[in-house]
Amino acid sequence: MLQRFLDPATLASIDGLDLVAKTVVDGFVAGLHRSPDFGFSQEFAEYRAYNQGDDLRHVDWNVFARTEKCYLKRYRGETNSQLLVLLDTSSSMAYKSHAVSKLDYARFVAASLVYMGSHQRDAAGLLVFDQDVVNYIQPSTRQGQLFRMLHAIEGAEAGTGVRTDFVKPFFHFQNFQHRRGIVVVLSDFYEQPEVIVKTIEPLRYRGNEVILFHVLDPQEIKPKFRDPVLLVDLENEASQLEVSPEYARNEYKRRIDAHISGLESKARSAGLDYFLMNTARPLDEGLREYLAIRRRLL
Amino acid sequence: MGFFTPWFLAGIAAVGLPVWLHLLRKHKSQPMPFGSLMFWEHHTQSSIKHRRLRYLLLFALRTALFVLIALAFAHPYIERKSLPFQHTGEITVLAIDNSLSMRAGNLFDQAKQMAKSEISGMRAGDRAQVLAFGARVHALSEVTDDKQQLNAAVDAAELSDDRTSFAELSRSLRATAQSLKLPLRVELYSDMQQTGMPANFNDLRLNAAIRLEPHPLASKEVPNFAVENVIAPRRVYDGKKQRVLATVASYGEAKATRRVSLILNDRVVETKPVDVPEGGRATVEFQSLEVPYGRNKGALKIDSADALPADDTFYFSVERSDPRPALFVYEAGNQAALLYFKTALEASGQSAFDVQSALAEQTANVNPAKYAFIVISDVGALPGGFESQLREYVQGGGSVLVALGHHAMAQMKVPVSDDRIAESRYTGREGDRFQTAAWLDSSYPSIQKDNNWSGVKFYRVFRVDPGNSRVVARLSDETPLLMDRQIGSGHVEVFASTFDDLDNNFPEHASFVPFVEQTARYLGRLDAGPPAVQVGSFEELRDSKEKGSSVDVMDPKGGRVFDLRDAATAQNVQFTMVGFYDIRRPNGRNELVAVNSDRRESDLTPAPMDDIKLWENTANGTSGGESGSTSEQKPVSLWWYVMLAALALALAESMLGNKHLSVDKEAA
Repeated sequence: MLQRFLDPATLASIDGLDLVAKTVVDGFVAGLHRSPDFGFSQEFAEYRAYNQGDDLRHVDWNVFARTEKCYLKRYRGETNSQLLVLLDTSSSMAYKSHAVSKLDYARFVAASLVYMGSHQRDAAGLLVFDQDVVNYIQPSTRQGQLFRMLHAIEGAEAGTGVRTDFVKPFFHFQNFQHRRGIVVVLSDFYEQPEVIVKTIEPLRYRGNEVILFHVLDPQEIKPKFRDPVLLVDLENEASQLEVSPEYARNEYKRRIDAHISGLESKARSAGLDYFLMNTARPLDEGLREYLAIRRRLL
Repeated sequence: MGFFTPWFLAGIAAVGLPVWLHLLRKHKSQPMPFGSLMFWEHHTQSSIKHRRLRYLLLFALRTALFVLIALAFAHPYIERKSLPFQHTGEITVLAIDNSLSMRAGNLFDQAKQMAKSEISGMRAGDRAQVLAFGARVHALSEVTDDKQQLNAAVDAAELSDDRTSFAELSRSLRATAQSLKLPLRVELYSDMQQTGMPANFNDLRLNAAIRLEPHPLASKEVPNFAVENVIAPRRVYDGKKQRVLATVASYGEAKATRRVSLILNDRVVETKPVDVPEGGRATVEFQSLEVPYGRNKGALKIDSADALPADDTFYFSVERSDPRPALFVYEAGNQAALLYFKTALEASGQSAFDVQSALAEQTANVNPAKYAFIVISDVGALPGGFESQLREYVQGGGSVLVALGHHAMAQMKVPVSDDRIAESRYTGREGDRFQTAAWLDSSYPSIQKDNNWSGVKFYRVFRVDPGNSRVVARLSDETPLLMDRQIGSGHVEVFASTFDDLDNNFPEHASFVPFVEQTARYLGRLDAGPPAVQVGSFEELRDSKEKGSSVDVMDPKGGRVFDLRDAATAQNVQFTMVGFYDIRRPNGRNELVAVNSDRRESDLTPAPMDDIKLWENTANGTSGGESGSTSEQKPVSLWWYVMLAALALALAESMLGNKHLSVDKEAA
């Protein structure tokens, strides 16, 4: 039932990203506790029998009172992680075939991630880019960081006629990055997979866990046209092509599938995590991916 | 190709719908923003062309579907000639003409010889059948490959007195080919007489399974004389000399003088020469025929000495008997009617009846059965015994003529029939001076000879309720004047007025004599008939009363036509031979019937070769353009093929359309 709160179309009707993020994350976390398959908890790790020399502060006295046996209550080490969300706002991100555009979806995901990160006391940061760095908020755990980021995410708008260029913003970003952490890239990755991986790969060398969230509209994954259409490139409006439904169903599908699988395989071979996000699908799939990676990192 | 219902072709206009959908309606490509054209290429145009090509295929399918549906409604057909049969398992039919004309010379022997040589030329396994035909077709053998049996059948073929009928032969061959379902090769041995050809050439039509090979035995016209017709009395009732008129015809002969002999009972009565013009006819008259009592065999013979002597004699029969009595019953003091009736009958030259008169009160001991018919002229009450005997007489087949007058009016009913007399209409009292006969049924025997009664004035008539009677004459006020009612096997004819000149002036009118004559003939069942009939005609042997009784029929050779069983049951007899048939009925009504051949057989002119060739072509069916109108042109309907094609197209259209729709569905 909670899944419905993660439906992009539902979220799009909510005004205010903070509320969106709260809805998503609270609903998602509540769902996690109910899930028998997913036994992750940030606080408690395990019980262990008391051994001589163990710190008595960790003895669970409640258990001792019931069983007259000493057990230590072990906690997972509280290590602060750094989360940096890279949000692509190129013109192509404005595309939508239904209520939610790719940029909206990416913003929901970004907001949810930073919300979740701030609640876990991770130092969350944001970099908004297209062919240049549009906005950068350094990762921090300071008071008000969450709202600054949400404000920045909310203000992120797709440019007009602006192409995605990974080289320049990533080079810029690498200059700011000093501490390892999790880097989440939200983009439609309209670039050759080799170029993308080659550009992002250096982040991995620095010990970062890099997650590529490949945000695509369902119409981009599997276009369905009734009649021949004149496609206008959002990143270059002068470029137009009349295409047939047959071509979209066959040749284009083959090409986009090859692109996705190529990007995925190249990303994984470079140690990057890759996740294809369909804007028609609920957000929780992406969040799970993030949390799984974060746990691995910890 | 043609169409049974061509107006449905207008439905082809529906082709405009796919034309509009596919060709006229503009497909506009809507501009649609898309994330990136990175994966689209320019050569997608060719894909569009390909798609349009597929649409063109769909368009072609739809167009063809509409056209085919319209065609199916128009019900197309093609004229297809029947293919010639493969002559495997062919049966040879040896058709030998045995008509009267084959008696000329030795034509028949020639025909049999040729048939036998055909049989001897047959290969082992070849099957054949022997037919003899004249007016009818007789199978002389079964379909067999036994040459001995076939030769025996040819030997058994005999000449007949029939006339030639090639139409009958064709009909029989068509039926044989249809029943055997095998091709026939017909070897026809005939003199190919032109008169044997039917009036309608279509009757000669043979189907494609029959191959005709005629063998004309006579190539040129053979001169011939014949006694074509004889006019002689059938029955005579006195000893006066009778008149006989004979027509002698010449066929292809130059002008000649022939001697014509009148023969009665094998005795030459008189011989006369007659000049017969070339290819014409001459008439010769004899006034010397004295007929003795009984049935007599007459003949007219010429000394032609031509190739066909069978038509030189014309037979006729003549019977002499005493006049039959007829009874005229009247009331005393009313003799005028008797006078008029008797005088009229005598004036008609009709001596078959001898009118005897009796007063009504004198009829108590009279037996009606001995009279040919009885006239009851304005009689009041009849003696009870006589009236009951009259009823039995009528029931048994006798006939009564009743004239109504004021005596009958007193009884208020018609004697014998007991029909009610409703009223007496006297025109002088009602302002009309007289009435006339307004409507006459001219098919009725009494009126048949003279139906012009316009001058007859009727002053008084008696209205009779006709009941079941047949009204054959009405007056101007619709009053039935003459009625005929059948009672049992007899008739009662009612005349609603008198035969004197008081109630009408009919006896003084010219129509009265033929009326009386014809009425006497009708009521007395006097059927003179022709003095001779043709070969092939029928004679009725018995009526309903004579069922089960034996009828003896002797043919001209003296043999019995029927065996004992058929003699008791046969309803009629067909005359197949020339000569005299002696028919002896159980009631004593014996008859001598003279039978002559059809004189069309006397014309030995062979049919033109063109006609024979044309007949052959109707058999061969497909032998080139000559077959013309007689070839088997059958309209073969193409409806099923068109519908199947339409169905196939509909399926193809559905599948192709569905393919396009699935794209649309996905896009939706």
